[in-house]
This record gives sequence, C-alpha cells and structure tokens, in this order.
Amino acid sequence: MSFTRRRLLEFAALGVGGLAFPRLSWALGESAKLDVAELKLASGTLQRPRAWERLLFELIQTTSVEARPESVALAPDDLALFDHPIAALIGNGPLPPMSDAAVEQLSRYLQYGGFLLVDDSSGLSDSAFDESFRALCRRLFPAKSLSPISSDHSIYRTFFLLDAPLGRVDTYPYLEGITLGETTPIVYCRNDLTGALDRREDGLDAANCVPGGEWQRRESIKLGINLIMYALTSNYKKDLAHVRRLQMEGRIE
Amino acid sequence: MTFPSSLFGLTENGVLEWTATSEWILVAVALAVFTLGVSWWGSRGVRHRVASVGLLVPALLAMLWAVAGPVWVEGSGREVPGRTVVLVDNSASMSLVEDGQQRGEAALELLDSLGLEQAERFLFDSELKAWTTPDWTGGETDLGVALRAVRERYAGEKLRSVVVMTDGIDRGSLREQWMTEGTLTSPTVGGPLTVYSIGEQALIEDTAIREVRTGGFAFIRAPFTMTVTVVGDQAGADVPVTLSREGRLVARKRAVLDEQGSAELEFEVTPTRAGRFTYEVSIPVGPNDAVPANNTESVVVRVVRDRMRVLQVCGSPSLDQKFLRLLLKQDPAIDLVSFFILRTERDIPSGYGTEELSLIAFPYERLFTEDLESFDLVILQNFDYAPYFRWSADALLGNIADYVKGGGSLVMIGGDRSFDLGEYAGTPVEEVLPVKLGVQGEAIDLEPISPVVTEAGSRHPITRLLPDATENLALWERIAPLDGINRSRGAASGAAVLLEHPSLKDAQGRALPVVAVRAIGAGRSMAIMGDGSWRWSFTEAARGMGNQAYLRFWKNALRWLVGEESRVTLEGAMDNVRLGTAARLIGRVRDVGFDAQADVPVSLVVTDGTDKLNLEGTTGVDGEVRFEFTPPRAGAWRATMQVEGQRGAKAETVFAVTNRDPELEEVRADPGFLQALAQATDGLFVAMGEQATPLEDATATRKIADRNETPLWNHPFIPLVMALFASGSWWVRRRGGGR
Repeated sequence: MSFTRRRLLEFAALGVGGLAFPRLSWALGESAKLDVAELKLASGTLQRPRAWERLLFELIQTTSVEARPESVALAPDDLALFDHPIAALIGNGPLPPMSDAAVEQLSRYLQYGGFLLVDDSSGLSDSAFDESFRALCRRLFPAKSLSPISSDHSIYRTFFLLDAPLGRVDTYPYLEGITLGETTPIVYCRNDLTGALDRREDGLDAANCVPGGEWQRRESIKLGINLIMYALTSNYKKDLAHVRRLQMEGRIE
Repeated sequence: MTFPSSLFGLTENGVLEWTATSEWILVAVALAVFTLGVSWWGSRGVRHRVASVGLLVPALLAMLWAVAGPVWVEGSGREVPGRTVVLVDNSASMSLVEDGQQRGEAALELLDSLGLEQAERFLFDSELKAWTTPDWTGGETDLGVALRAVRERYAGEKLRSVVVMTDGIDRGSLREQWMTEGTLTSPTVGGPLTVYSIGEQALIEDTAIREVRTGGFAFIRAPFTMTVTVVGDQAGADVPVTLSREGRLVARKRAVLDEQGSAELEFEVTPTRAGRFTYEVSIPVGPNDAVPANNTESVVVRVVRDRMRVLQVCGSPSLDQKFLRLLLKQDPAIDLVSFFILRTERDIPSGYGTEELSLIAFPYERLFTEDLESFDLVILQNFDYAPYFRWSADALLGNIADYVKGGGSLVMIGGDRSFDLGEYAGTPVEEVLPVKLGVQGEAIDLEPISPVVTEAGSRHPITRLLPDATENLALWERIAPLDGINRSRGAASGAAVLLEHPSLKDAQGRALPVVAVRAIGAGRSMAIMGDGSWRWSFTEAARGMGNQAYLRFWKNALRWLVGEESRVTLEGAMDNVRLGTAARLIGRVRDVGFDAQADVPVSLVVTDGTDKLNLEGTTGVDGEVRFEFTPPRAGAWRATMQVEGQRGAKAETVFAVTNRDPELEEVRADPGFLQALAQATDGLFVAMGEQATPLEDATATRKIADRNETPLWNHPFIPLVMALFASGSWWVRRRGGGR
C-alpha cells in the first residue's frame, strides 16, 4: 500500500486545522456536493442561511459526508429545485396559496427522491403557519396525512442516538411526517430547529434555547445532522445488520 | 317384392345380393336401350317392329341379369367349444434370472407343458399384443389393460379358460389398488381365470435406488433436501450411498435397510450457483445383483435465484448513494445489504462521544471473506478500501478478484474515493475491472459532461434504454450531464465501453470510458466513472420524464451483471434421456436487442468428461437450431453451444442419460398380488413350481356363423332365354324385310 498524495494531505489537514476546517476533498464537482434549498414563498417563510451553514459545517466535521456548507433560496416551482435533493421550508406565518404547478412540482420532487424538512419557527401550539402547512400537505398528498413519527424511526438513529426532537424550544416531543412506502420524504418539526442553529451576522447564536440552554442547542445540532443523514440514507439504520448489532450492544431496545 | 327363390331350387332363408358394381349395371342398361333402338329402327312395319322389340326385351333382361351378378346368400351357424386364451407377460422383468433360469423361459416351458397349442395366445406389457416370439423387453406392465382388451375382443362370448403367466410386477391400476387399499375390484375376465405365478419373491438378489426426490428445482444458497430411497433383499444390510454432481463427489452416507428391505436417507445440498446441474446417486453393484442399472439414479436440478443478493458498500453517504439505495431497496427481487461509512478516522475528534452515536463497526473482514460468496453482486460505491482493510488489503482485494473470476459480479462507481483515488491501481481488483488504472497526473476531471453512446453501447442491453435505436440515442443525448469523471488509462483488455467521454482521450487517442463492462472468468464487472448517475433519475423527473431512464439503466445492468440477460440459450427437450434413444437440444441465438438471428453457424460440444461429441448447425429464421444425437454412455452430460466467431456467445445445459428401465425399478416377483387377483375373480392361483391345469368352463361354447352363396347369374336358364328370344326377334325382323 503506497503513501499517496491524498493521504499526505489528509494527515496535514488533520494535523494543522482538522478541527477548524472542513477536510480536503476532491468530490466530483461542487455541484455534486450536498447543500440545502430553502423554499421561499411570497410570505410566511423565512431563510436562515447561517443555520444551514452551521449545520452543514458540523456535518462535514462530524461525518464522512461531503457537503457545500451553504443554502440556496428557491421558489417551489423553480426547476432548479431538482439540483438540490434536500430542501427546507421554515415558516413564520400563514403560507400564501401555492399555484397548482408549484404543488405538482413539489409533489413530484418528493415522490422521486427529494426530502423536505419543515420547521415552524414560532414554536407555538396555535401557529398560523401550522394550519396553512397542513392544508398544503393535503394538496401535496391527498391520500396521506401528517402523523407523529415514532421514537424508533430511523431519524432518531441515523448517526446519533436521540430521544427527542429538540430545537430552540422543547414544545413538542415528537416530529411529524408523511411516509410514502418505506421512506418519509416530509418531516415536520414544530420546535424551531433552525432557530437553535441560526447565528447572527457577528457569529453569535441568534437565540437562546429554552429550557435546556447550550445542551439543548447541541441536541438540536445532532437532530439536524440526523435529518440530513436520513435524507441521504433513508431507512439504512433499519437494516437488520445494524439493528441486531445495536441491540446486542444495548444501545437500542 | 320377395325373390322367388324356389324357382332356383333355393330356400327362402337368404337374401339376394348383387356382385356387379353400379357402373357396370348402368353400362349394360345403356347398351340394352341402344339395342332396342336399333331393333326398332331396323324393322319395317309397325307389326314387325312391335314383335321384334317385344321378343328382344326378355333377351336383354336376361343379359342384364347376368351382368348384375345376382347371388343368393344363406346364413347358418354351429356350436363349438369356447376359446382358451393365454396371456404371457413380455415385460423386461421377465428377462430376470431366478435360480438359474430366466423367468420368460420358465413361462414358455410351462406353456408347453400345459398343452395349450390350440389356445389363442397373446403377449402383454403395457397393452395386449399379438403373439410373436417373446423378447422380454416390454415396459410398464399393465395386466388390467390386457384383461380389458381380451374382454373387448371377445365381447358377448363366453371363454372356456383365461390363462395368465406373469411375475406379478404390475405397474397398472390393478396392483396399485391392491397395494394401497388391500383389496381388488374384481375385473371382468370373460371366463375362468388361472394365474400362473412366474418367479418367487425371495429368489432374486437386487439392491437398488428406488427413488430420488428433489422437487426439481432449488434456490441458490438455500439448502435443499434430496431424499433417497434404497431397497434391497437383505434386511439390516448397510449400503453406502454416494452423491455426486457431474462427476464430483458431494457427500457420502450409509443406508441401513429395515425389515421390509427399505431405507430412506436425506442429503442436504446448498447450491452456490444458478443453473442446471445433474446430481447422481449411486450404490455399489454386488456380484449377484440382478439389475446393476438400477444402482444409479441421476436427477437434474434447476437452481434459481429467489432474490438477487446485493452488497452495497459506500465510502460516504452521498446523493449518488441515496438514489441507488432507493432503487435497490424498492425492488422486492433484491435482497440488499448496505454498509455506508458514516464516519472516518478524520471525523473522530469532533466532540461527540461514542455512546452518543448509533454507529457499528464495519465488518469488512467477514464481508470480504466468508460472506462474499453469498452475494450475487458487490457494489463498491466511492469506497476506498485502504483505511479499513489495512494489513489485510492484499488478501481481501484478492478475495474480491477471485469472487469475480469465479462467477460473481462487481460494480465500481466513481467519486473522490474510487478507482485511482481509492488506490486500486495495481491491486487484484484492478485485474477484474473493465478499465486500466494508474493514471499519471489528475485522477479526476471536474468538467460536467454528457457521455456519448458508443457503437457497442447502442447494442448492449445495459445502455439500451428504449427499444428503438434512434430514440435510444436521442434519450442519451438529452439526459442530464454527469458532474465530471474519474480518469482511467482506458478500457481493459476484453472490456466493452458503452458510454465514453466526449473529449478526453487515453494515450492511444481513444475516448476515455465513462461506463464500461467486462466478462472475466465466470463473472462480470462494470465501471461507472462518476458519481452523478443520480441525476439520470432526479433531473429527468424534474423535466416530467419520470425516472425510467435511471431505473432501466440500473435494472438492465443488474440483470446483465448476474447473467440473467443471455442472448444465447440452450435447452434440452428432456432432463433424462434413456440410453440408446436420441437426446434433443434446442439452441437460440438473439442479438443484443433480443431479435432472432438467422443463418448463424454454431458448434455444439457434448461431453460426459470421457466421451466428446462435436456437432454443428445453423440457426433458422426463428433464430433456433436443433440438435439430435444419441449419447453413447449413461451418466451426466453437459452440452455447450458456441456461436461461431462471437467470443463469449455461448450457452450450456445438462441432461442425464440413464440406462435404468422403469420396468426394472422393481424386480422381486409379487405372487401375493396374483393370488389376490385369482381370488377376486374366483379363479385359480398356481404358485411357481406347482402343477395345475387351468380352470375350464365346460359350458362355454361359441357359435360359428357359415355363409352359403349361390350364384344366380350363371343359371342355364339365362343363356337359353337370351338365345331363344334374341333369335326370335332377329327372325321376325328379317321376315318383315328389316335388316
């Protein structure tokens, strides 16, 4: 086995700034790397590019995934959405009615392998966004409905072992989702996950996490990484080889 | 009107029949009318005409009578004694020798001693046959059919005696009923039945394989049970049983015969390859074994895939991995085992404790040693082996290469950890890849490209996404571009490039491969020199074209890789061929589009490992070629058909040639059945060696019908009438001045 240029660079990267910078990579083109598309509507949505930058950076540092730590804002009827198989919809108010073409494209996006993380930034039980998003789901998949995701879902074990879906707040102890076949292409978080990840322009956290503070923020980052990993590997962690091993080691029941 | 038979001195118990054909009668009538006309016009004066014609009419009627050939037929009958019918078993089991004498010879001696020369004799095996010199070669003895044929032949007639000579090894419904129900429905025989038992149960030595049960097919890598029944004449005998597959020993066991002289044992076999295989079960042949041929039994087992077992190893979760897993996971015909490297040694110092993670150790050693053979296909997707295989790298990479050469399938998919970047250059894995590694300089090219379909790619089933060639090319031209490629030094020897780079060339000036395939040893491999094939799914869906292109590409690839996509096939008409009879094989040759190829010369080699038969043929318009030949020896035979001038275009099949005679599956005489048959018909059973004359029904008679024919056309009265009246007519006409 030869000591190649690539391995030399890897060692150098780890030795000099391995914890501070993403590792060197020759992924086949920047466009092949993972990023996030933020859905942007006329109202009711907001964009948090720094939250994605932070999450994807953590993803690169923590996992073997190659990513481009940035996001792009797109309308749901923009064909460019299909260059970004992972999308997010962060709501802060009632969504305006979406055109039939946009609904049709978004539905197609999700059926053919796209993943949509929906985050209610209000963290409130009576949010206006929640009602309008549920109405959108009924248009996207008339025969399906949002339902709570069970605690043994792959999302809770794709990379980290998690007990609860914490965000900026800890209001709802479960995620919701729409499952098609064996995958869940829409995951809905009502605890303002991206609020916990977001940063201000000066680099400081945009909001405090309550009630758990920094521990809660750390758990939110872990949830964000798990969601990205789920978008990539879907139910991989439900494969028998993994379940048996984790059960044998007492890490899951 | 009744015929006045008394005029001719005949009885009234008869009927008049005409022996001349209607054509002759019509000719005679026409001649008579003509003669009358001549006579009429040849006479002068009305009085003479009437007299002349009037006299001529009786003469012509007499002539017509003579021509019509009337015959008076009278029937009569007489009573004679009823018939004696003798049925002698001519089946192969009658050729067996008991106590120094062949059973058949014993039957003929008995027949002579009974003095039944006047009897009506028949042979029988599966049916009743006319008597001829017995050759003791018939099969599938069915005494019930023979008795039924006798009854139908002599329907309505009482037979004086029915004599049967047989060893009782009946394979028809009569004995089956007796063996399963213990009783016999009395067959209608037509006369008193006497059954002479030829042979005794204890007088023959034979150990045989009665039956081998397999179910006919098995699933690859799933154990199936082969149940063998051994029978013999010595209770408690310890019989070694050998199972082999086309000459290679598989297992040995011992069978201990029970009190009924039977033993059943099971072999558990786990096939590792799909296809058709001949298994042979055999036991030793003893010095006095009556039927050595039944000591061996060959069965053909078809081994099929229940599900394609795929190992997907990925160096990093990625969009390419995501879409491939979705495809593989959604296919119920695929049993997918995935291992994704979620964290490398470089990611470890990231501040999270191991107890927080759901990661498990990558079982690479087990996967690439003991488990490797269990997979139909291994996908190395942007996987760099070095950080994991470490000091075992040479051995594990060697295992992968051996796996491919031995019939496995391998796909390597590009990315920043694959091909040269995965350090596969110079390893055993490179030897089985369709591309040459060891690139000098940049190992990847990041320019997005639309790959170009090569001539081979336009025909190959993997890249033939649409049936029409033009539409297929158009699809590839508009399909989403890849995000760059892993460079190579070009296609390996024997590889086919299906998609190539539009501009980058190797050192020989040939376009760099983007997708290439190779058949090596018994296995196949494929290289996809990029990690952007997921766009063929998602970007196509964005355009409203669905993901059919991606699905077809991968499904075609999977089928080709595991060898299910075969354009050349060879099938046998039968799995088992009797020695001495012709084996028939049908070969089919199709092109990559699976259209029949006509006028293609092919050669066929048929071998049992010792003998070799060489045949040649040419496909017809249906793409089929038929071979017929007679294998010279019993055993497992493998036939391989090669399409001339097309390397690798071949197919094979197997068949067993057996010299087992179904009639000799059982060799011990069954006097018990014959005794039961005699009882059921109130007949007489005569055991071997006993003397007894056949039962007779003295009252049985039959009537012999006689037929007495008296010709009427030659009665002396006829020419007399003709001469008298014709002369009178002539005389009257002349007297009247006529001619």
